[in-house]
Amino acid sequence: MIAVPVPVKRLFDWKVRGVRCVEIIGVVCVAALVFSVYIAKAAAARESAEISRIESEIRENRQRVRLLRAEATRLEQPARLEALSREIGLGPVDVKKQAVEAGLPAIAPPPVVATPPAAAASVAEPAAGEALH
Amino acid sequence: MDYRRPAPGRPQPRPQGPSVGGLFAAWGRWVASCVWWMEHSFERARADGRPEEDTRVRIFLILAVFSAVFACLALGAAHAALFAPKGGSGSGFNANALTRADLVDRNGQLLATNITHYGLYIDPREIWDPASAKVQLRRALPRVSAKRLDRVLSGERRLVVLNGLTPSERRAVHALALGGVSFEPEDRRVYPLGTSAAHLIGRADTGGEGVSGTELAFNQEIRAAGAAGEDFQLSIDLRVQGVVENELAIAAEEHKAKGAVAVVADAQTGEILAMASWPTYDANRRNSAPTEALLNRVTSAHYEMGSVFKSFTVAAGIDTGRADMNTLFDASQALQIGKRRITDFHATNKVLTLEEVYLHSSNIGTSRLAVEMGGDVMRDYFRRLGLLDAAPIELKESASPPKVRKWDDTTLASLSFGYGIMVTPIQYVAAYGALVNGGRYVQPTLRKGGRPNAPTHQVVSPETSATMLDLMRRNVTRGSGRFADAPGLRVGGKTGSANKLVNGRYNPAVAVGSFAGVFPADGPVTAKRYTVFVLMDEPGVFPRTGGYVAAPAVGRIADRIAPFLGVQRKADRWSTALGEKIPEFEDVEGDGR
Repeated sequence: MIAVPVPVKRLFDWKVRGVRCVEIIGVVCVAALVFSVYIAKAAAARESAEISRIESEIRENRQRVRLLRAEATRLEQPARLEALSREIGLGPVDVKKQAVEAGLPAIAPPPVVATPPAAAASVAEPAAGEALH
Repeated sequence: MDYRRPAPGRPQPRPQGPSVGGLFAAWGRWVASCVWWMEHSFERARADGRPEEDTRVRIFLILAVFSAVFACLALGAAHAALFAPKGGSGSGFNANALTRADLVDRNGQLLATNITHYGLYIDPREIWDPASAKVQLRRALPRVSAKRLDRVLSGERRLVVLNGLTPSERRAVHALALGGVSFEPEDRRVYPLGTSAAHLIGRADTGGEGVSGTELAFNQEIRAAGAAGEDFQLSIDLRVQGVVENELAIAAEEHKAKGAVAVVADAQTGEILAMASWPTYDANRRNSAPTEALLNRVTSAHYEMGSVFKSFTVAAGIDTGRADMNTLFDASQALQIGKRRITDFHATNKVLTLEEVYLHSSNIGTSRLAVEMGGDVMRDYFRRLGLLDAAPIELKESASPPKVRKWDDTTLASLSFGYGIMVTPIQYVAAYGALVNGGRYVQPTLRKGGRPNAPTHQVVSPETSATMLDLMRRNVTRGSGRFADAPGLRVGGKTGSANKLVNGRYNPAVAVGSFAGVFPADGPVTAKRYTVFVLMDEPGVFPRTGGYVAAPAVGRIADRIAPFLGVQRKADRWSTALGEKIPEFEDVEGDGR
């Protein structure tokens, strides 16, 4: 026989109405485990249903994005845009009417802070008109 | 009792040789004896006087085996739960995955995409009133074939009525709320740009395999990018492509041309920024397009291009050291080679410098130069310029040029001004790029960022390239290419005009006019530089020369695409940034240069 320590033997011998307490505790533990696994599985199922719903939503949205992108591209066909803009009298900008960013101060000098805004605007406008025409 | 006696039937020394049946019997006896031995080990142990220990050992052994098995299972389960590969089964979801990737231009603008279309299926057994269903379906979907619809409605089984319903068509049919009508999704390739870049993009079949154009050329890569959910980028710039197509169409209609070609390329990297072939067709209605519109003239049509080839002859002459800017060529009278007389279109009847030969486009001058260099030198230069082989662009349509058979003097004279050799426009563009980028032949490519590790080879020296750029710029400011000038963009280039061979004779009424331009033509030879090539096939109105039919289009294209390409307008020796001519320095004293 293997020598069993006394406290362990006492624990095994502790009974309630003829049922070992160790066994009751074990059954309760197992029940708790089973229940928690059930809860976890149910939660996971709910999550995965949610995920697949969102995934299908993403897929649908992506389809819509693709469709809209294709539609936008169709509307932006270079030939179509050019025909439309020629129809309303637009055309390539003449080189004399083009300006680069660095040249802007020469066309319309920034308003001087000391002068009232109204006066500054009236100074700037004719200058811009002169340079553009 | 002696439990250790041999089990009944234990193998005994066999009297006869082994046979198959005997072997089986022996094996069976051995298994039976093992089982017997196991069954009786407990009794055996008790007989030995160690009954308890033996039981414990057996229980322990069984416990150990079960523990090991369950430990393995637990480990396996934990591993599967914690270290499952991403994207494996269960989490296998890539919303971006497609059979073919979207094709986009270099800035991400869409060129071709996949849209889910629907196949319309009808189960006639579930239709209440076939007659009214037919009327409603035909009203909602006018393009459905009446015959097919009749056949399905009078049939017994669920059959497909029409494939490729667009989402809006599907909605219209769905709104009828007919029983027995169902849809099945199918991926379709659509080309939302319609006629734009149709030749270049090509098409893919319903099975998702490329059939022509870039869809075929990059088929594997497009499919790989699709599986990874990425876009596939081309070197095309849609803004440039749009300008080129519009200007080409305007020029082609204005000159009543039969066909027209335009290409814009980056001379340094070989990237094609725009490629247009006129007439064009709607990529989504390819079947209804006329046959001549389907041809990509840039890669598949051959032309004798005429004087634009003089750039190659002159470059070869300068590069070999046969000529420099001051070399004189006698163009005072026609050049006689054997029985053939070579004359100039714009006869000057005087001795010309190399610059004048180029600017007046003198056939006599370039013929003399070519004959002086000889067949071997000319063939070597033409070969290195890629004029004798199909252009190494990715497109499978890139056609091989007809072989030049003879390299005698009269052929050389013809070659020097672009007759006797037919090339595709893309071959010409690649060769022309080598003259203006410092002398390197760069393979033309439709891949954004250029071809990775593409071999380049030196054709002419950087000095020759610089001289050619100067000559081309002079030609635009003072020579035949003046209509190609765009204000402040320093356009250089060469005109070309050729008569076509009709029934074995060069017919002056059927011509090809072209212009090969480059901008900006100033700055170091390795600077960013773009080539613009326009060719008009059989212009129907006079004048038909390249300077009138193609050069203005090149100028307008350069003018409009410069802002997209980031080319600043600047003054140079010849004109101001706004395009006004700077009067030339007149050397009155005669001691200037």
